[in-house]
Order: sequence, then structure tokens, then C-alpha cells
Amino acid sequence: MLARVANNLFWMGRYIERSEHIARYLNVNYFSSLDAPNAKSQDRQFVLRSMLFLVGEPDVDENVILKEQEVLFKIGLDTESPFSIINNVKYARENANSARDLISTELYESINKFYHFVLNYPSDIFLKNGLHDFTSNVAEMTAILRGKIRGTLLHDSVYAIIMMGVNIERANQIIRIINTKYNDALKAQGSYGDKFGNSFEWTTLLKCAESYDMMRRFYKKTPTSISTLEFLILNPNCPRSIMNSLNQVYKNIKILDPSMAYNKKSTAFLIGKVRAEYQYKYIEEIEENIQIFIEDILNSLNEISLKMEKEFFNY
Amino acid sequence: MDNIENQIFSSYERNPILYDEIYKKKGQIKKVYKKLFELYGKHSIQDYVNLNAKAKSSFFNQGITFQVYNDKDTQEKIFPFDLFPRIIAPDEWEIIEKGAIQRSKALNLFLWDIYHDKNIIREGIVPMELISTSENYLDQMVGIDPPGGIYNHISGTDIIKHNDGKYYVLEDNIRCPSGVSYVICNRTALKRALFGVFNHYKTYSVTNYAENLLDLLETTKPKGVDVPVSVVITPGMFNSAFYEHSYLAKTMGVELVEGRDLFVENDFVYMKTIKGPIKVDIIYRRIDDQFIDPLEFKPDSTLGVPGLFAAYKKGNVTLANAPGTGVADDKAVYTYMPQIIKYYLNEEPILNNVHTYHCSRPDELKYVLEHIHELVIKPVDEAGGYGISIGNRLTKAEIETVKKQITESPRKYVAQPIMSLSVHPTYIDESESFEQRHVDLRTFTILGKDKEFVLKGGLTRVALQKGNLIVNSSQGGGSKDTWVLKG
Repeated sequence: MLARVANNLFWMGRYIERSEHIARYLNVNYFSSLDAPNAKSQDRQFVLRSMLFLVGEPDVDENVILKEQEVLFKIGLDTESPFSIINNVKYARENANSARDLISTELYESINKFYHFVLNYPSDIFLKNGLHDFTSNVAEMTAILRGKIRGTLLHDSVYAIIMMGVNIERANQIIRIINTKYNDALKAQGSYGDKFGNSFEWTTLLKCAESYDMMRRFYKKTPTSISTLEFLILNPNCPRSIMNSLNQVYKNIKILDPSMAYNKKSTAFLIGKVRAEYQYKYIEEIEENIQIFIEDILNSLNEISLKMEKEFFNY
Repeated sequence: MDNIENQIFSSYERNPILYDEIYKKKGQIKKVYKKLFELYGKHSIQDYVNLNAKAKSSFFNQGITFQVYNDKDTQEKIFPFDLFPRIIAPDEWEIIEKGAIQRSKALNLFLWDIYHDKNIIREGIVPMELISTSENYLDQMVGIDPPGGIYNHISGTDIIKHNDGKYYVLEDNIRCPSGVSYVICNRTALKRALFGVFNHYKTYSVTNYAENLLDLLETTKPKGVDVPVSVVITPGMFNSAFYEHSYLAKTMGVELVEGRDLFVENDFVYMKTIKGPIKVDIIYRRIDDQFIDPLEFKPDSTLGVPGLFAAYKKGNVTLANAPGTGVADDKAVYTYMPQIIKYYLNEEPILNNVHTYHCSRPDELKYVLEHIHELVIKPVDEAGGYGISIGNRLTKAEIETVKKQITESPRKYVAQPIMSLSVHPTYIDESESFEQRHVDLRTFTILGKDKEFVLKGGLTRVALQKGNLIVNSSQGGGSKDTWVLKG
């Protein structure tokens, strides 16, 4: 596979995954806030700021009153804003275009349909009453894409590269969502008797990661900070957990680089090292300083990305 | 039998002057079209409108689009596609296929000759000016032996049917002829929309193009290569034919590369992959001569690969088509095709050339002057359609002026009969009915070392504007699925 095309496929995977997380985050936060149990979590400004925080625009002046429609448009359908869903889908398709000869017709057609769906979604309807329809469709279509990736591609290096993109992005987004909700839980503290440990925000967090039902099944209790973080970070059987993403990344790098040689410089070695670190961790160790943990994992993921670039995409 | 209730053809108007592909002169449906006519007749116009919309969305979802740029956004459009296929009977196809191969072979021998000994010129069959004045003749190619002895691996031959019912070649495209992917897409779209009709006809498949292309390209691999590595090189995803480039790479199972993915070291070509450099032996290039190597041609080209031509010269890589083939699809060379075929193959041309009268020859000059109203007069040395006079559109005074010009300097002019393209029923959106539209046919021929292949089918292009003879997609042309029937 060409190095340039491999890079494009990697980013195709990342953009597909990214668009899903943003869409779900908008959906869950907006709708769960409507009847949230405390004043803070119901507050429009609070919710809108949380959305902007996720897409990487946290520096909005605290005194500025945000307009709901503007924020939703900016994150959803604004072609001028680099992080919008529409742009993510556009980039995903552009990357797919350049690798069209390597991926299946079925996968390409689905990406193309996805693109046209987003492109043609009328922004007035989106802002009026289409938020749920739009975001749930985006989530649905990304699920179809993952199905097509798994079900119609040869499980070789092309597949491995895409899946590494998907999983690195997933770990990245989940950790960002955790970070955002962690901040929200801190801010929502004290407003009408809400405690950090069993804040309403943990439920929202699990829903954002499509993991709420399974978490209830696993713990059979109302989510708390510790059980939520444990589930989303360390539980390898939770498909959205950081641990699972790292396992997937490791599995796929082995398709690209099956050698078992001891090579400190390889991407495979680095991924194995990061993975081993979290495999044997207590949640209590992480909870002690969650801020540092979040920074650490983001750094590690970034390092993996850079290493991949150097080893495989450098041209 | 022909007068059966046929809703969708009820308002079809036949112009008796034009050659209709599905009707005989007296108004009966031709045998090969009978069943199809009957089957389509079972649909109502409303059915047809729906099917048409479905076919369009099939193209759209497959991403078979071209882009139209305006101020703000880029818009994607699909190439208009017509749901009523064109059928070519086995006996007609045999002529087309043999004729296309004959032309391609003759052109290949002609190219070898004009880049080596130039016998055809020395013997006075064609004039020296044919190559000395051609922009597409590459001095760099003189004396180079292309691997396998093949210059024009891929030829696209544009053929029309005149109102005498015979096929004529209008043009041989042997640079980077495109359109083959649409042949296959048209078939896919028609199958999706009207699969039932295929049960009643034995039609050749068109999906075997890519495997034959790879097969035949590999017969021209460089010397000393055992298992060749082939690639398709594209100018990039913003090229209007990018879909075709990626389609061909995918169906051949080879890499689709851009210039920046390749580099040349010690006169060998390599591509940059995730496992390091891999040597490339055969390049199907969809980049024009002038852009393939900035060291040899246009120095500011970023599409090509520096050093590629040197590698080619050494015989280390195959380029398909070879550089310099463009000289043979010049208009001037076209007029000599019958002589070229005769000279190299000692055969009579199977497909007609549109006859060309050289006014420099006294008897032909006489004919031209007498029949000017039914001829197209073209200056020999002007390109781009300048100075062309179409006989039946000239006033009496204008005819006299043209006559005077020709008589004064007969060497400067040639003349050709005015060709009339056959018409085919085509569904027209605006009127929601079938109307006559002019069509042509592009066939795709592949030459390998001692092997050749013609795709059984081709691109039938339709001039969608009434009365228009220009079928190019850039000028509002559409296309049809083309069925070649098994004998």
C-alpha cells in the first residue's frame, strides 16, 4: 500500500469515528439537559459550553451569552468551522476518494450516501426540530460504515490501518468526553444538593459513550464517579472503553507488523507498552488525580499517532 | 405487430431524412429491437420517470460524478444516462471489432516506423510534413524501442453510422482515451433499474475489460522482469476522470499512484509504500506526454516523476501508452489511414474513413468544385476548427468566395462529405417522452505483444440537444448502455 494512501485511510477512520462522537454528544447532552434533575445541568449556557469544550473551543469568554442556534449550527452544519460534523464527514469522504481503488464499492457507496445526507440536510430544519433526527442518523450511518469496514474489506493492511484510525480516535474522543463531563460534574457540584461522586453527569457521560445500559447490567447500581470511570477506562469488555480501544489498536498493528522481534523503535512496541500500563491499573490510582491521567493518556495516544506517521506514512 | 399499444413511444416523431437505429425505413421496428420495444412498451411514462430517477440516484450513490465549480461550493453532477439501450447485432459487431483491431495495429506499425526508419515517408506514401509539423511528434522518442514493441496499448475509436447505414471512423484516440468506466457503470445502472429486460437478450458482459487490460499490459513488460508490478498513475482526485482511474486500478488490483508517490533511482522507478520502496515495471499513465517528467518535458509539471523518461529510455519501465503516440491521432494522419493500413498490413480498410478529397489533385479538385454544397471544406494547416466551411450552410455568394479561394491555392484545402450521425430513441426529461437524438460509439481496443482485445460493447454517446451533432460530455452529451449480442 502506498504510504500516502495509508495516511489517508488512517484519517478516514478517524474522521468517521469523530463525527459519530460529536453527534452523539450533542444529542445526549441536549436532550438529557431538558429535564435534568438540577438547575445547573438544565442551564442552557452550561450545556452549550460543554459542547464547545468537547470540540476543542473551551475558551469562550465566561461573560458572553451563547446563542443556542449559533452553537448548534457551528458544531453541526457550519462548513466554516473546522470541527463541525459536516466537515468531518467531508474529510472522511475526501480521504476515501483518494483510496477508492483500495476499499470496497459497498464501503465507498455508504460513505458517499453519508456525505450526501449530511450535505443536503437543510440547516433550518436542523435548527428548528431536526437535532435528534440529524444526530441519530449520523450515529446510525457511522455504525453502518463500521459494519461495511468489518464485513466487506479484506482483513489485511488496509483494514488494519483504518481500524487503527477508528480506535485511536475512539480512545481520544472517549477521553475527551470523560474530561468534559468530569469538568461538568465539578461545576455542577453543590447546585441543589448534587454531589460530585454521584452526579447526574455520570449518567450523561455513559449515554454519550453508548454504554449506559451495559454499565447498569454490569454493576446493577446507579453510576458513580468511580464505577463510571472504571467501566469506561479499564473494562476491556466494554466496547467503548479506553482499554478495549488500546487492545484493538494493538491487534491491528500486529497485522501491519507481525514481527515479534524486540524493537524499541517500532510503533507496535510503543502500543504494547501503553496498553500494558493500563491493563494492570486500579481505578483508585487513576481517580487520585484524574486530570493528570487524562493528560497522560492523550499524550500517549498522540505519541502513537506520531510514531505511526514516522514508521508508515513518511513520504 | 409493430402497431401494438406502446404508450411511451406514442409521441415518437421520426424524421425520414435521418437514419434511425431502431426503425427500418418503412417504419417497422428492426428485428433486434422488437422484443425490447415490446418490453419497454409495457411501462407507463410514469414508471419510466420513476426508473429514471432511480438510475440517477444509483450513479449518485456510486459517486460517479463530475464537479462543476462555481463561486462558493463545488457541485457534483452526474453524467446523463439514458435507460433505453443501444443494441448492436452480431454481424455488425464483427465488422466493428475487426476494423478497430486493424486500425490499432496499423497505427502501431506506423508509430514504430516514424520513430525509426520512416520508410512510409521515404516511399512517398505520406508526406514528411505529417510529422515535421506535428506538435505531438516527440524527437525524444526517435530510435527508442518500446517494451514489447507496442506504442498504442489502448485505443479509443470513435465510430458513427452515416445515413447510408455504414459505419465510419471519425477519430482514433490513442493518447489517454477515457470513458471505459462509464461503459461498465451504464450497464450496472441499467441492470439495477430494468433487470427484467436482460432475460430476453444474450448480451456480452463488459466487466472483463480490466482483467484483459492487465493481462495485455503485462505482455509488454520490460525485459528481464519476471512478475511485473503494474500501477495506474493519475493527475489526482480533482481530475475529471479520477473516478475512471480509481476504477481501473481497483478492478485490475493494482495501486493507483500520483507522481509524488513515485521516484526514480539509477533509472529504475519505485513507489513509496508503507513497507518501503517497491520497484514498478509497468505504468498505465493517465497523464499527458508533456507532464510525465519535468526533467524532459514541461519543467514546471508537478504531476509527473523526475527521471521517468530516462528510465523509460533504458527500457526499465513500460509506459502505456508510449510517449509520442499523439502524433498518430492528428487530423492530418487520419486522412491517410486507408494508405497506412494498406502499406503496413497489405489489407483493405475494414471500417470506412470519411473520404477526403485533396484539392491539390486536379480530378479531386474538379469534384470538390462541383459538389461544394454537400461537402465540408477544411484548410489543411489550421487547427481547432478554424476556417471550416460547411457546404449546405453557405449562401450562393459565400460558395463563390470559397470556390475562388480553393482555385487560387488548391494545396491548402481538403474536403469531406457532410456526415450525418444516426439517431436513436432517447428519453428526454423535459418532454417526458422519447425523441430522436444523434449518437456515436467509442470502442476500446487493447494491444499487447501478439495479442489483442476489443471490449464487446462501447460507449454510445448521445447529443442531448435536439439536432445537435456534438456528443461530448462537456457539451451536454449523455450516454447509453450498449449491448453487443452473442451470435
